[in-house]
Amino acid sequence: MSDPLVIVEGVRTPFCKAGSDLAALAADELGRIAVDALLTKTGFDPALVDEVIFGCVCQPVEAQNVARVIALRAGLPQSSTAATVHRNCASGFEAITTAAERLLSGHGSIFIVGGTESMSQVPLIYTKEAAKKFGALTRARGYAGKLAAIAAFRPWDFKPRVALKLGLTDPVSGLNMGETAEVLAREFRISRARQDEFALLSHQRAAAAEARLAEEICPVYLPGGKAAHPVVRDHGPRPNQSMEALAKLKPVFDRRHGSVTAGNSSQITDGAVALLVMAESQAAALGLKPIGRLAGWAYTGCDPARMGLGPVSAIRKLQDATGHGAGSVELIEINEAFAAQVLAVLQSLADVPEDRLNVNGGAIALGHPVGATGARLTLTALKELGRRGGGRAIVSACVGGGQGAALLLERL
Amino acid sequence: MELIHTEALDSGIHVLTFDRPNSGANIFDVETLTELDAKVSDIGQSATGIVFISAKPSIFIAGADLRALESLTGDALRDFIALGQSVFNRIAALPCPTVAAIHGACVGGGYELCLACRRRIATAARATKIGLPETQLGILPAWGGSTRLPRLIGLQNALDIILGGKTVPAKAALKRGMIDDIAPQESLRDAALQWLAKPTPAKRRRHSLDRLSVKVIEPIARRRMLEKSRGHYPALPKALEVITLGINDSIAVSLQREREAVLELAATPECRNLIRVFHLQERAKKLRVPGAGTPAPIARVAVIGAGLMGASIAQWLSARGLRVLMRDIDPERVADGMRRVSGLYRDAVKRRLLDATEARDGMDRISPVTGETPLDAVDLVIEAAVEKMDLKKRIFARLDETTPPHTLLATNTSALSITQLATSTSHPERVVGIHFFNPVHRMPLVEVITGNGTSTETAASALRFVQAIGKMPVLVHDSPGFLVNRILLPYMVEAADLFAQGGAVQEIDSAMLDFGMPMGPLRLTDEVGLDVAQDVAATLAAAFPGHMHLPAVLDRMLAGKLLGKKSGRGFYLQSKGKTVPNPDAAKYRDSSSGPVPDRAGMQRRMALLMVNEAARCIAEKVVAEPADVDFAMIMGAGFAPFRGGPLRYADSLGAPAVVDALRAEAAQSGAHFTPCDLLQEMSAANRRFYDDP
Repeated sequence: MSDPLVIVEGVRTPFCKAGSDLAALAADELGRIAVDALLTKTGFDPALVDEVIFGCVCQPVEAQNVARVIALRAGLPQSSTAATVHRNCASGFEAITTAAERLLSGHGSIFIVGGTESMSQVPLIYTKEAAKKFGALTRARGYAGKLAAIAAFRPWDFKPRVALKLGLTDPVSGLNMGETAEVLAREFRISRARQDEFALLSHQRAAAAEARLAEEICPVYLPGGKAAHPVVRDHGPRPNQSMEALAKLKPVFDRRHGSVTAGNSSQITDGAVALLVMAESQAAALGLKPIGRLAGWAYTGCDPARMGLGPVSAIRKLQDATGHGAGSVELIEINEAFAAQVLAVLQSLADVPEDRLNVNGGAIALGHPVGATGARLTLTALKELGRRGGGRAIVSACVGGGQGAALLLERL
Repeated sequence: MELIHTEALDSGIHVLTFDRPNSGANIFDVETLTELDAKVSDIGQSATGIVFISAKPSIFIAGADLRALESLTGDALRDFIALGQSVFNRIAALPCPTVAAIHGACVGGGYELCLACRRRIATAARATKIGLPETQLGILPAWGGSTRLPRLIGLQNALDIILGGKTVPAKAALKRGMIDDIAPQESLRDAALQWLAKPTPAKRRRHSLDRLSVKVIEPIARRRMLEKSRGHYPALPKALEVITLGINDSIAVSLQREREAVLELAATPECRNLIRVFHLQERAKKLRVPGAGTPAPIARVAVIGAGLMGASIAQWLSARGLRVLMRDIDPERVADGMRRVSGLYRDAVKRRLLDATEARDGMDRISPVTGETPLDAVDLVIEAAVEKMDLKKRIFARLDETTPPHTLLATNTSALSITQLATSTSHPERVVGIHFFNPVHRMPLVEVITGNGTSTETAASALRFVQAIGKMPVLVHDSPGFLVNRILLPYMVEAADLFAQGGAVQEIDSAMLDFGMPMGPLRLTDEVGLDVAQDVAATLAAAFPGHMHLPAVLDRMLAGKLLGKKSGRGFYLQSKGKTVPNPDAAKYRDSSSGPVPDRAGMQRRMALLMVNEAARCIAEKVVAEPADVDFAMIMGAGFAPFRGGPLRYADSLGAPAVVDALRAEAAQSGAHFTPCDLLQEMSAANRRFYDDP
């Protein structure tokens, strides 16, 4: 690539477990906060941004094309454009690589990319039968008609479908995400104890990294409330996580024979990430010093029932394309969708040094707001490369529906 | 010169368009009324319908010509009033249907024209405001408004509008029945013509109900009005009388009563002063710094400090469309500020000043920040941090380094010297004071304070900025206490002293409520905070030891943790949701107290201290003109508007009387009452502050 995409700066909101501190903020609000903080931190003129590209899996229905809503609310001019992208858990990566493709095709050179997710605000929905009856009620005329329509309802019509659960289930394989992890745990013979150990490590590393991670976080100020209560740090990491505590948890996806628990899975989380990216030449022209460069990427397809193995093929494909694999880079991030899944990937690749993997913790401790995670992995890896004097990083994730994603980043 | 165009359509409908040449507004002066009368007479019998509409972009008709009101007297004034009434009567009596198509300001006489029409259609634009605010100028609607409005919308509703002097937006006007329909601006004329094609009869109200209920409504309205106005605004009881009597009389008799009432009111000093206040407001909106060019507009502002004032200022600016960076030292302070901002927006939505989307857009325009961020794109910085000179100096020194040369550096300080603060920067010419009053969303006045080094360009930019955000500026030169606080302090100190000597809290406050202040001085001290008041008193006592002192009683009360409203107790406390005098405060009085003056005496002392200090501000050239002092005291401290301000008040007494009274007080109570040199000179030469009568 002759004029690659560089990352100039990035900011993210704290990542908080769904239903907790950020639950009241919709995905567009979270994204707006991140973009506003990014623009304020850099002093970058929003009028120079060509397009905003954001990953978001559960788009709020009141803010369709959430990237556009975020862009306008964050003060970008109406003449800029925006698009929301969706590649499940790799949506955050998709935003970055889409910007790179725009650049290659001559459709813009300065972008704000990232991802946002409010898993707290994924709605409850009525069953199709219930929705039909509501429709009939609206159309009914006169008291007799309305009464008849009301009488058609049954108690079970009011039991909602939990859209979040539906969203985390792959319709092609019929398995939900946790069930795919159980498949890998069985096939690769990954014990409960090993998964819990991995989970513990994630928490320990994240807790130890709190001050470092604080460098990339912007505070979130919650509306209303009696006490002023800024949200300034990630809520997921547990400094006193222990094997005993993890052992107490029961398997969630296979109650009788399973080993995947809430403790060794990624957390369901709210959060947003915003990155200022542009053509390398643009950064030079504007006198900006980037924090890294996108040196290559790969997306691969695999069996949806074993989606957790996605990074294996993706990292291999990336190595074929760029010459850099897990063994030759300074840092590796493999998104911790589930401990079992990461361990299965590690077994398959066999050349991933543990001391360079997820060094500041991963999604088990920090959380996995699905649309934003790819952007967070990128930001965290680049910041960490900066602390280590530069080098290369591979950031990757498995993708629900059976894909893998991997990006090669450079900070030289 | 034609003021009204007539257009005759094929259908026999006539469109009368008000379009005063060389003006952005339409008003009803003698010429316009005469022309209207002639045109309506011409077409009245043959027309199948008439539309009244305006060609101005944001004004329908802005009411009667104020200059006529001020300059005409006796018969000339009587004729002017009679002319308006007869023209509108003619319109009301037309055989054909009539419709007023309203876009923009439609107030006073402008709306009285609409009341004479059979139908009123308005646009829901921001600029469209409908009402009868004559009582705010000390008169009452005298072109049929006091007669026709109650018959249209009911007695209670009409009293609310007229006594309250309210102007309302179109949606509210529709709800109250003041208009009949709302149409978009592009189709306003068509909507009027459409109705004329199939006109509906005029709305007939069940008037009989009002005829009975007036007996109940009148005393309640009278009591409420007296509570609020304390007998100071003769227009209010007069308007109440005209409206309630008019319910039970014929239209002709009621109109006659309107005429007599307005003639009586127009001659009162209250009316004169209220019209002057109106002119002062217009003056403030157009105020310019002499010799400066046109300053560049300010689009991005940084507010340093997210406390009470910082957050309030940030909210006001963001609501006016500016992008604001609000900065403080840690997330907790910023969070407090954001909470305050969102509370202010919530209140604004509750009071229907904004809708939920506008409030959200306003919040979006605020970027909360801790620590330093690039300020290259910021046009103006307003520092609103703690009132400590060394802290402010450090902030300004750093701002001097981190902002581009075009950025104005302003401070919201109420007490510290702008000149001194400017010395901590290498460019004192861009340092200026922009002093907001508390609460920001309610107080329209802003003091723009020039230090010794402030350039004319900076002053001009600050002035334009204040006007652009919908506030009214007064240009003040750097001096301790600036203008408003300097004049208020001796008044508040005297109130504290009177209390210390044994005066009752409610007596002292009532004395000044009787005078026409919106709030008593002890209540004001509680609101501001005894600590803040004492701080300012200390600054002024140090700067003017000859006539300013610190009231010892405040020190004692502060030692006893009586801080005022912020701590829940001061001179007053909250009890069962009501504010009542604090019985505990009594123990802080002086141990030996002498005789306390009666209410009139207290009032005299406190009012004259304000006059004396105001005169000093003129003598020291803190402001350029007496009009600046009076305007600032009315808009910034609520000084009795019907008195025209402290210097108008002084003129109404005459300098000799003021000087004599002050000397008498000085002999009795201390040298701080001694009349200042300027007053003594004016007394000797029999001069006045103002040349106009």
